Amino acid sequence: MKDIFKFSEQPKFENPSLIVGWRADAGNLGPKVIEYLSRKIKAKSFCEIEPADFFSFGGVSIENDAAQFPECRFYYGEMNDLLVFMGSEPQFERYKFLNAVLYLAEHYCKTRELYTVNGTISPIAHTSPRRILAIFNHQEFQSKLRDFGLEDMNWKGPPAISSYLLWIAKRRGIPAVSLWTEVPFYLAACDDFQAIKTTFSFLATKFELGSAFGELDDQIRQQNAKMAQLREEEPSIDKYIGMLESGVSLGGDEQMELTREVTEFLEKADL
Amino acid sequence: MGIELYKEPQLENSIMFCGWPGIGNIGITAIDTLRGVLRAEEFAEIEPWDFFDPRKVLIEEGLLKDLEFPSSKFYFHRIKDQDLIFFIGEQQPSEGRTQYAVGQKAYKMANLVLDVAEKFDCRRVYTSGAAVAQIHHTSKSKVWAVPNSESLIGEVKQYENTILMSAMGGRKGQGFISGLNGLLLGVAERRGLEAVCVMGEIPYYLQAAPWPYPKGSRSVLELLAKILGIDLDLSGLDELAKTVERNIEQLLEDLYSAEGVPPEVADEIERLRDAEPTELGPITEEEQKKIMDHIDELFDQGGRKDERHL
Repeated sequence: MKDIFKFSEQPKFENPSLIVGWRADAGNLGPKVIEYLSRKIKAKSFCEIEPADFFSFGGVSIENDAAQFPECRFYYGEMNDLLVFMGSEPQFERYKFLNAVLYLAEHYCKTRELYTVNGTISPIAHTSPRRILAIFNHQEFQSKLRDFGLEDMNWKGPPAISSYLLWIAKRRGIPAVSLWTEVPFYLAACDDFQAIKTTFSFLATKFELGSAFGELDDQIRQQNAKMAQLREEEPSIDKYIGMLESGVSLGGDEQMELTREVTEFLEKADL
Repeated sequence: MGIELYKEPQLENSIMFCGWPGIGNIGITAIDTLRGVLRAEEFAEIEPWDFFDPRKVLIEEGLLKDLEFPSSKFYFHRIKDQDLIFFIGEQQPSEGRTQYAVGQKAYKMANLVLDVAEKFDCRRVYTSGAAVAQIHHTSKSKVWAVPNSESLIGEVKQYENTILMSAMGGRKGQGFISGLNGLLLGVAERRGLEAVCVMGEIPYYLQAAPWPYPKGSRSVLELLAKILGIDLDLSGLDELAKTVERNIEQLLEDLYSAEGVPPEVADEIERLRDAEPTELGPITEEEQKKIMDHIDELFDQGGRKDERHL
């Protein structure tokens, strides 16, 4: 197991909490929340997981015009009470990979609890508040976070990697929760700043990181202004979003059109 | 990576039957039917997480209740002083995109299965799968048998409705058994264990069909019942076979009338309907490709349901 890790330094920890995010996520939620959190706690990388056993190296994928290489890295905050793991989802040996994450968290860092941050696609309008749905692996941990406004999730179906991580954490006796913040389906391929802020606010409250979200508030304002412009320019988009605001579901073709138009518009506006 | 034993039955001189999913699910249907008819008792399973990803999660009121993996379970039963072990695997471990076992994981799985076989004094292992053959779906399936030792060939020749690879025109006793059905023969041989793979025939134009082919399973079960000297009530399997045959007939009729397949492909399939096995010469690769190109397209399900993972 130790061969899997590559340490750049070996800091000491006292029961930190671990926050896990995955690179590909609806509304780019995981990467952005981890980015803001890392800045807030002045995170430094101290260890990475060697990718060879877990990823195909037949080439590299290209995203946003740049080659992407799988990266799975641990960071720690300046107060040593928060750990962050940002990783690409492994293509192979998922059980071994997730056990490696938890092995380091448990044996090296003495982690006391684990949080994963994720976006979940929802049929809501971007003008609606985002709920955070939660999945716990221990009832006591669920009770402990009862007052944080999380909503219990019900689900039966294919498991996401975060659920798999929770299950292994439970076998290891590590209390864990997956936070699934709602992302309007038509913002799934973009940054959903409102969902990002909702998630980051939860973490900031839980870990007493302060309540200044100036940069995120600006980004939400800008995104809302762009969406308002699109609604003004495109009556059909305004109609679809209005239907969602009234709780009316869209058909498959309408959903596709709305998603395509919004994604293209926001991409162009960001250029 | 290991085996979880729920109990340790005292077994002697046992025979093991192994079934996994594959073409037409012929092998697993045969072995699982035998296990069910005999009411064999579960006693062990292979821990799944090193071989398979979970396929389902159950979350209730915000609590993760369960994660479900494909199972690989062992059962035992005794008939007439003969101890039997059954191994039923819901999925073959694979490191690639194929549904058949390949790579290191497949080899480890085969060894774990045989660890249990040896621990419970197994003397013979039967694996079961499908033999893709030039037959019509209205014909009775034969069973192709491949032992892992030449010393077993004489015995296999005595089996009813069963043929060796050497009896197939043009094969000269050669062939290939994909996945764990084949791998297990080789690993058993290395351990000095006798093993035979028995494969029920399936028409080659149905090899990509998404439904089971119970006729092939029935022929395998008839053979296994003879070997064990028991009578089996296979009425349930016969009913299923009739239903599947009706569905295939309907599908072909619809395709022919809608000209969904070229006339020469339809002719080729129909030529098999009344042909005696001796009349069937080897099909050329070109002919098979032409037929399969059309049939595969029809069985390609396409479309996806809700793909959300949580």
